[in-house]
Amino acid sequence: MYVGSDLASAPLHTPLTLVHAPESCRKRLSSLGLRIGARFSLLSRTAGGGRVALVAGSRIALGSTLLSQLRVEVP
Amino acid sequence: MAVTEQPGRALPLPLLVGTPSVKACCHTGGGIGAGPEAPVVAIVGAPNTGKSTLFNALTGARVTMGNWPGTTVEVSRGIWKTTRDAASCTCEECACDPNEQRRDITLIDLPGAYSIDPHSPDEALTRELLVGVPADERPDLCVVACDASRLANSLYLVAQLRELGLPMMVALTMLDVAAKSGVTVDLDALSEALGCPVVGIDPRRRTGLEALAAGVREHTGIATAPRPVLETTDALELDDDRFAWISDAVRAGTSAPAVQPRIFSDKVDRWVTAPVLGPVVFLAVMWLVFQITTAVAAPLQGFLDGLFSGPVTNGATWLLGQLGLGGTWVEGLVVSGLIAGVGMLLTFVPLMTLMFILLAVLEDSGYLARAAVVTDRLMRSIGLPGRAFLPLIVGFGCNVPAISATRILPSSRQRILTALLVPFTSCTARLTVFVMLGSVFFGPYAGTAVFAMYVISIHLVVLAGFVLRRTLWRTMGAEPLIIDLPAYQVPTLRLTASVTWVRLQGFLKTAAGIIVATVCAVWLLQSIPTTPGHAFGDVPVAESAYGVTAQSITPVFAPAGFAKWETTSALVVGFVAKEAVISSWAQTYAVDQPADGTPGTLGERVRTDFENSSGGHPIPAALAFMVFLLAYTPCVATLAAQWREIGAKWTLFGVGMQLVTAWVLAVAVFQVGRLFL
Repeated sequence: MYVGSDLASAPLHTPLTLVHAPESCRKRLSSLGLRIGARFSLLSRTAGGGRVALVAGSRIALGSTLLSQLRVEVP
Repeated sequence: MAVTEQPGRALPLPLLVGTPSVKACCHTGGGIGAGPEAPVVAIVGAPNTGKSTLFNALTGARVTMGNWPGTTVEVSRGIWKTTRDAASCTCEECACDPNEQRRDITLIDLPGAYSIDPHSPDEALTRELLVGVPADERPDLCVVACDASRLANSLYLVAQLRELGLPMMVALTMLDVAAKSGVTVDLDALSEALGCPVVGIDPRRRTGLEALAAGVREHTGIATAPRPVLETTDALELDDDRFAWISDAVRAGTSAPAVQPRIFSDKVDRWVTAPVLGPVVFLAVMWLVFQITTAVAAPLQGFLDGLFSGPVTNGATWLLGQLGLGGTWVEGLVVSGLIAGVGMLLTFVPLMTLMFILLAVLEDSGYLARAAVVTDRLMRSIGLPGRAFLPLIVGFGCNVPAISATRILPSSRQRILTALLVPFTSCTARLTVFVMLGSVFFGPYAGTAVFAMYVISIHLVVLAGFVLRRTLWRTMGAEPLIIDLPAYQVPTLRLTASVTWVRLQGFLKTAAGIIVATVCAVWLLQSIPTTPGHAFGDVPVAESAYGVTAQSITPVFAPAGFAKWETTSALVVGFVAKEAVISSWAQTYAVDQPADGTPGTLGERVRTDFENSSGGHPIPAALAFMVFLLAYTPCVATLAAQWREIGAKWTLFGVGMQLVTAWVLAVAVFQVGRLFL
């Protein structure tokens, strides 16, 4: 298992586990279901370098500047 | 804080200091609450879970609804008519058996909130009204709207409210969307897991409302036992506990396939938000919006304009003549003031209606949330999050609601910056002047000239944002884009018509008073003589109070090529409302007959004045005038909205910034343009 990849380099359509998020937006992400330990996957790339994440049935768009700050476990 | 109640309208509650409780809102004055004895039920929930649609279905009110986060930025309230017995009365035109005892409920629609940890002013307001007031001023029941298709995310607010022991129940929406994803919900099991009643509803199709009414009747005022929480002050531990509780509840109440199937929205988003195609689709959609708006509205505008300037004016003139008032100041006031003002206002109605319909369709379909994703990088270049795009695009329709929409932004600096940039978006009121000047000065290239104004408008927003970001707000952190993408929905006729009607009413209420008052004020000033030998109402415009005032500021515009008082006076009127620019010209030129007695058409007179004031370079002078019109203060209604949202200091700063920007740009356009044209 490869541990601690940043989300920008994580593959699409693969189960991921969030292991780190910056303190400044942790609350906001948590309220949308993306908390530390949450399982999710990436659905697509967006204009501007972001990603659409599938989190517990919700589609959450994440901007490019955030991706490099989110660390995930990739099985 | 004193709150003025306006029946049928959303309550503007921008400040949290001294925010009244929902009961204080409803139990004072004669608004549309159900009276002091009626129970107060608040609809709460995460953004875009169908709260406003439910509110409208239950009350028959007209609250702005849309399929993008942050639609409700104000608090709305209405009366929900039910009966004490089994049947509930949710119809707008109540035809229930009069022997049944009616029970009216005051219903409150609160802004969307993912949690009671506020991230934006509207979320803060929701928190304040639910838990920031004394217990006896809280709602008698909270109905938490939860999206069944993304249940786990909707339940965070439920978890927090359950910890407080508030009387509450859950209304589960989007069950059809969940079913398409293979998710089934066991309402009883979910209710047991959450420790509060759960009903399934579809507010768009108005189903399940009976069960909701029964639940509300049964549980209003009955507090639920608070959910035990960990004895810790560590926010992360508390969060973990809540999410564990949510996971248990979702597991108990729903069943879902191990691998979630890709839904229709995913397939569309693959193209609509894609790196290259996404911006192309966005530009195509925007182009289509403006193309439809102008192409369809133009003939209707022409028809209404002809109707008022022809038969209506002629009829009124004839009637006043029959009454012995022909040629008097009364005829001037009625024909040049009231009929001209009301007529001009009505010519805007097709344009504004179409723009509002198209924006409502984009909102209700869910596309606007995608547009915020596509424009995120552009917004980020000026230090704003993608969400700031939403108020800016609304600004292209009308700046006033766009300023209110800045409340969806989480940081006060972002709200101020966005509210300062909104006036640079070219609203539909300015469009009418651009179309008129375009056809006068650019003939077959009028469309290109108007399009150029929109391109300049976008550049002004980016440039002003860039400069402000690097001067006044150098320390402002750029908030990363995190936005919930709602599932695409087919826009419903009911929602589209309802939203359009609310906005059109708002426009007419705001614009009607301002335009008619402005036109009458212009007529009055043009009737007051400043030199001896003229009677009231019988004075050349140049020698009237209006002409003299305009002449005093005219030299300022000599470097921009339009230093004629007839031209600059329109800018003074335009400060009040851009809608009044053309009518003020019409009044000025209609009153001010040329020396040789040939009045000429309005376009010819305007062109002649631009030729005279520009030293033979009318095209660059007209362009300079259009740029000035684009960049300076949009209207007093926008100023009032800014004043309310960002305070006097920043509003005045904005006025100064726009005037300086407008003058510098106009001078630059004329001075460079006259070298070539």
